This record gives sequence, structure tokens and C-alpha cells, in this order.
Amino acid sequence: MNIKILLFGRLTELLGQNVLHLEDMADTDSLSRFLSVQYPGLAQINYQIAVNQEIIHGNRLLTDGMTVALMPPFSGG
Amino acid sequence: MREKKLRNIFVNGAIPADTIAESIRKHHTKTDIGAHSIFLGQVRADEIGDQQVAGINYTAYEDLALEKMYEIREAIFAKYPLTCMHIHHSLGMIAAGEICLFVFTSSKHRKAAMEACDELVERIKAELPIWGQEILTDDSHQWKENK
Repeated sequence: MNIKILLFGRLTELLGQNVLHLEDMADTDSLSRFLSVQYPGLAQINYQIAVNQEIIHGNRLLTDGMTVALMPPFSGG
Repeated sequence: MREKKLRNIFVNGAIPADTIAESIRKHHTKTDIGAHSIFLGQVRADEIGDQQVAGINYTAYEDLALEKMYEIREAIFAKYPLTCMHIHHSLGMIAAGEICLFVFTSSKHRKAAMEACDELVERIKAELPIWGQEILTDDSHQWKENK
């Protein structure tokens, strides 16, 4: 199982990369928990999550090949 | 159901004044239009401590932004009697004083164009996954926050 994680804005700095690949993440809550342990600064940043280009609210089950985007507050315009 | 057509709104670099002039000129043949409304976002040289913002480096989750822009476009066309709508947003480094957002709406009468333009700008800022990194004059940076 492979989950692709896209990072944006200040999260690219905090995690030091634009893309991560993780194995064995059952759902988006586990993914957030896992990353908060790896990158303690993450707990201070609000971010929305999109799964396969759809913004989700609440937890979402993950399956092989899914793409998860972690998006801090938008600042376009 | 008609085909869902995603239009690219992103341009690399600043939006030149000529592009805006050309866009206005292209509408001369559409004589059912009686009003245009244009919003131009310009990068502001904010003072940050003893530094200034030299420019903003824009990045986006382009695929999701274009999907979201499609939804916004459909909603605005459904809400206002518009003749046309054009949106351009910059990516990459845009220096202070340059244009980074161009929103252009046209209608028979002014109210629709003006209100649609205003609502588009608000929704673009709030809903499109775009991030601006403010580059300061000493090359340090901070992440822009929309107010």
C-alpha cells in the first residue's frame, strides 16, 4: 500500500519536502497523528485535507494509490 | 449534461498591462455587453519590521484549484446574468507593484458585472488552494495570510 502525500505552503518548509510517500496508513486521522509525531511543529498549524482532489471533513479511509494533500490556510490573490 | 471543461487560470509571472488591454479590446465585437468590471490585485510592499515585502512567490495545488474554480464559475454564472468572465492568477515570483490577479466580468448592465466581480474575488481568495510566500528585502520570508 502506498499513499502519496502532497504538501503545500508553510508545510513544505516544516516537512522539508513537497511530496511524501507513506505505507500502511489506514485513514486520514492516523496519517495526521503519524505526521504530528514525526514533525511536532505540525500541531501548531491548521490545515485542510484533500483526498484525491476532494476536500474532506472528518476522517476518511485510505486505500492503495490514494493522494492526500495537506493544505494550510489559503493566501491567493 | 454538457462536458465539464476546466479552464486554466494560472499564468507564470506577473500579468502585464498589455494582457489586460488586449482582453478589453477583444470584447469590442461583443456589442450586447454594456458594462465591464475589472479587479486587479497588485503586490503591496508592506513594511515588516525594518524590512519591506519585495515580492510574493505564489504556488498552488493547481489540479484542485482548477476544479474549485470550475465550481465557482458555474455558481457565479447561475447567480448573475453575465456575458463573460475571465480570471488569471499568477504563479511564481511577483515583484511589489506588479499585478498578480486579474478578474474580468461583463454583462448587459453594470450591477451584474460589478457584483459578480466582487464575489469572484472574495471566493478566489477564500477557496482556491493558492499560497503566497512574501519575500522580504533581506531575502528572509514569511507566509502571507489573507485577511
